[in-house]
Amino acid sequence: MTEPTYRGPAGVAREVDLIARVAEGDRKAFEELYHLYHRRMSRFLTRLTRRYDLAEEVINDTFWIVWRKAHTFRGESQPSTWILGIAYRKARNAFRASARLAEKNLQVHELPLTTEEPAGVEELRDWLGRALAQLPVEQRLAVELCYELGHSCEEIAAIMDCPVNTVKTRLFHARAKLQKLLPQLANPVSTLERARAGGQE
Amino acid sequence: MAESCRNEEIGLLLPWLANGRLQPPDRIRVEAHVRECEHCARDASVQRLMCDALTEPDRVSYAPGPSFRKLMSRIDGRSPAPREERRTSRLRAFPIAAHAAWRPPGLAWAVSFLLVTGFAAIAATTYHWSQPRYTTHFAPAHVTPNVVHIAFVPSVSVGETEALLRSAGARVVEGPDATGVFGVSPASTAGTSTAQASAQLRALAARLHTDARVRWVEPLSADASVETPER
Repeated sequence: MTEPTYRGPAGVAREVDLIARVAEGDRKAFEELYHLYHRRMSRFLTRLTRRYDLAEEVINDTFWIVWRKAHTFRGESQPSTWILGIAYRKARNAFRASARLAEKNLQVHELPLTTEEPAGVEELRDWLGRALAQLPVEQRLAVELCYELGHSCEEIAAIMDCPVNTVKTRLFHARAKLQKLLPQLANPVSTLERARAGGQE
Repeated sequence: MAESCRNEEIGLLLPWLANGRLQPPDRIRVEAHVRECEHCARDASVQRLMCDALTEPDRVSYAPGPSFRKLMSRIDGRSPAPREERRTSRLRAFPIAAHAAWRPPGLAWAVSFLLVTGFAAIAATTYHWSQPRYTTHFAPAHVTPNVVHIAFVPSVSVGETEALLRSAGARVVEGPDATGVFGVSPASTAGTSTAQASAQLRALAARLHTDARVRWVEPLSADASVETPER
């Protein structure tokens, strides 16, 4: 199935319309909204929880709320802010529960520090993924919402239900830690060139 | 290597310069700074690199269909207890956690029973102690055989009381208590039968009752009941 993508004001208007139809019990609209968000959420939730099943569970818990509470959406925020705000709360709880259990039961995979350059964008993304896993959950979510999902600072603050300055601080600390974990980020130009060259091969 | 930049505010905004979500006034200011500051220019490149890496098309293709069907079955009530199922499945995935979460049901019931019983006992005790504890001379616990209880009007002196009791043929056997009540009995009851003692007691109560300085007389013994309306 081709994934529908909505960007810009038209996309926002479309999502508002879908939510209004969902509030009336329109299952087709619900399915469209679900598909629209599934990929976006799957990626960052999988990276966050490192478990597909948990990511899937968070998505369905989120849309369960969307189905039941769509009538409460008044359009005061963007649909993505509303939906991802629900997802954020669900993910945070699931992540904490999962992390507690993982601490007891699983070995934590420490990122092996390396000074080698990544062979391509995919490898760089893998490294980033493993480095992100070592960040506190709030910082990790802020990184994902900013870099991957492309939200503004104000939107992230609304999603995470915290002040704008807190978002900036979280990202600041996350960036500092990522640069420590991935020293090759200190030379972004060569890393980027190598990564892109690797990606074209 | 570029020197660190002292403009912290600009540094905090670089992630949004990279993802293109900085609003025009801030964007113009940050871009102008980045053009001149080598440190921030390098940092901005790092941010763009991270954006590129994290927004690259995924190698994994997600198939939302089965998940959506699962969600719809939950909405339609075909999966009535999803939370419980999820909890169970999670516990299955982590055996140690499952073990920690397990509790013997019998023990749980016993603990619950003890808790409920304990709370009930505490509640009953608290209620009992919270009630005002009145005592009365009419209460059977205070019945003393062959004793008449008597209260005098407050103005009567100790000497007058003694003289009054002496003249009535009574002696003090109890009191006075905190409320000024005396217990008196006939001065001589030696060698009398129970019936005689009872008759003496009634006679004593009647004598005392006639005195104006006596506020009330109360023969508490059933055998010695005398009508003594309170003055």
